[in-house]
Amino acid sequence: MDSPEYPPELARLPPGRHGLPREFVSRNQRERLIAGLAEAVAENGYAGTTIAHITRHAAVSRRTFYEHFNSKDECFIAAYDTVMTELNRRVGDAFEQEEEWPQAVRAGLAAMLDFLISEPHLARLSMVEALVAGPVVVERYDAAIQSLVPYFEAGREGRSDEVLAGLSSTTEEALVGGIVSLISRRIFADRTEELEALLPDLVEFALTPYLGSAEAAKVARA
Amino acid sequence: MASNSTRRPLPGRHSLSRDFIVRHQRERIINGLALEASERGYRTVTVADVVRRAGIARNTFYENFGSKEDCFLAAQQYAMDAALEQVVTAAGEIDDWPRRVEAGLAAFLAYIAREPALARTCLVEALAGGPAAMQAHEESLQSFVSLFRLGRDVSPYGGELPETLEEALIGGVFWILYQRLSLAEAGQIEELLPELVEFTLTPYLGAGAARELARSKEGASRGKGAV
Repeated sequence: MDSPEYPPELARLPPGRHGLPREFVSRNQRERLIAGLAEAVAENGYAGTTIAHITRHAAVSRRTFYEHFNSKDECFIAAYDTVMTELNRRVGDAFEQEEEWPQAVRAGLAAMLDFLISEPHLARLSMVEALVAGPVVVERYDAAIQSLVPYFEAGREGRSDEVLAGLSSTTEEALVGGIVSLISRRIFADRTEELEALLPDLVEFALTPYLGSAEAAKVARA
Repeated sequence: MASNSTRRPLPGRHSLSRDFIVRHQRERIINGLALEASERGYRTVTVADVVRRAGIARNTFYENFGSKEDCFLAAQQYAMDAALEQVVTAAGEIDDWPRRVEAGLAAFLAYIAREPALARTCLVEALAGGPAAMQAHEESLQSFVSLFRLGRDVSPYGGELPETLEEALIGGVFWILYQRLSLAEAGQIEELLPELVEFTLTPYLGAGAARELARSKEGASRGKGAV
C-alpha cells in the first residue's frame, strides 16, 4: 500500500535523499496531487475518480496522498481553490491594465477564455465537475461566480440617469450567469474549441445594458 | 406503440383505474424525491428516504424506477414538461412578442412558486445530478430559445444580434432562479418578473422600450394579484 504505483524513476522527484528542503518537497507533492486530481477527473469524471487514480497521475504513494488530504473531496477542494485563485488573478490583472471600462471588460473576458482554452482539464474541473463535487464545492462555485459581479457593476459609474434607470439590482448577476452558462455549456459538451470565437458575443452581451446594442457591438468587434 | 403488443393484455375493465393508480404512484414518488432532494440535497437522498416520504412500499419504487438516478431524471422531465406546458399555454395566446415573453416568464415563475421542490430539482439539483441530468437541463434551457428568438423579427438590431444571445439570456435567467432557489426564496420569486422581463427584452428593443414594457405590466399584474 505504501509503494508508489509508478516506478520511482518515473516520479518527477527522485525518492530519498535529494537534499531538497522538506517544505519544498511537501509543497511540490501537494501540487502534483492537485495536478494529478485534475487529470484523473478529466479522465473519469468526479464521481468515477478514485484516490488510486489521483496517486497514479501524481506519481506519489497513497500514504503521501493521506499526508496532504483526508479524502478525495478535500483534494478536489484544494484543486478548485488553486484553479480559481489563478483564474481570478489573471482576470483581475487583465481588467486592471485597461483604462476604459468597456475595454477592461473585454480584456478580462479574453483572459478568462485564454486560461480555459489553454488548460482544458482545469476548465472542466472548475466549470463542470465542481457542480457534482458536493455542497462545499458548490458553495464556492456559487461564490466564485458572484465574485465577478463587481467587474460589471463598475460599468454603472458615470452613466446617464437614463441608462441607470434601465438597470435593476439583478442585472449584473444575470449577465454573469449568462456568460458563465455560455462558457460552461461548451466545456460540458466537449466543445472547448468554440470558446475562442465566443469572445465578441460575450463582450457585446456584457456591455449592451450599459452602452446600448450599437456601441457594445462596436467594442465587441473591434 | 409497438411495445404494447409485447405486454400481457390488461384485465379489461380495470385497465383505466390501473393506469390511474400507476400514474398516481409515479407522481407520488417523483414528488417524494423532489421534496427530499430540496431539503437535504440530491446527493445525500437515498431510495429509503424517497419511499418513506412518498408513503409507498420499496417494491413499488422499484416497479416504477430502476434507481435513484432513474427517478431523478423522471422528476426532472416531469417538472420541466409541466412548467413548459404552462409557459406555452400562457405565451401562445399572445401575438405581441414582448408581451408574449412576459407572459411566458410569468407562467414559469408562477410554476416555480407553486412547485418549489420540483422547480429546485430542475434548476438547482439537476446541476449536481451527473451527466444525464445535466444533459436534460441543457435541453430545458434550449426549449426557451425559440420563444426569445422570435424577438429578432421585431428588433431594429435583429440582423446584427450575436448568434448566442438567446442562450446567454436564458442562462442569465436560470442563474438568477438558481440563486433564489438555492437560498430557498421561492416564495418571492414572482417579484423578479419585471427585472427579468427588462433584462431579456433590452438587447432586442433597447433599454428604454424594455423598461417601459416591463414596468407598465408591473402595475397591471400587481392589480390582478390584489384581487
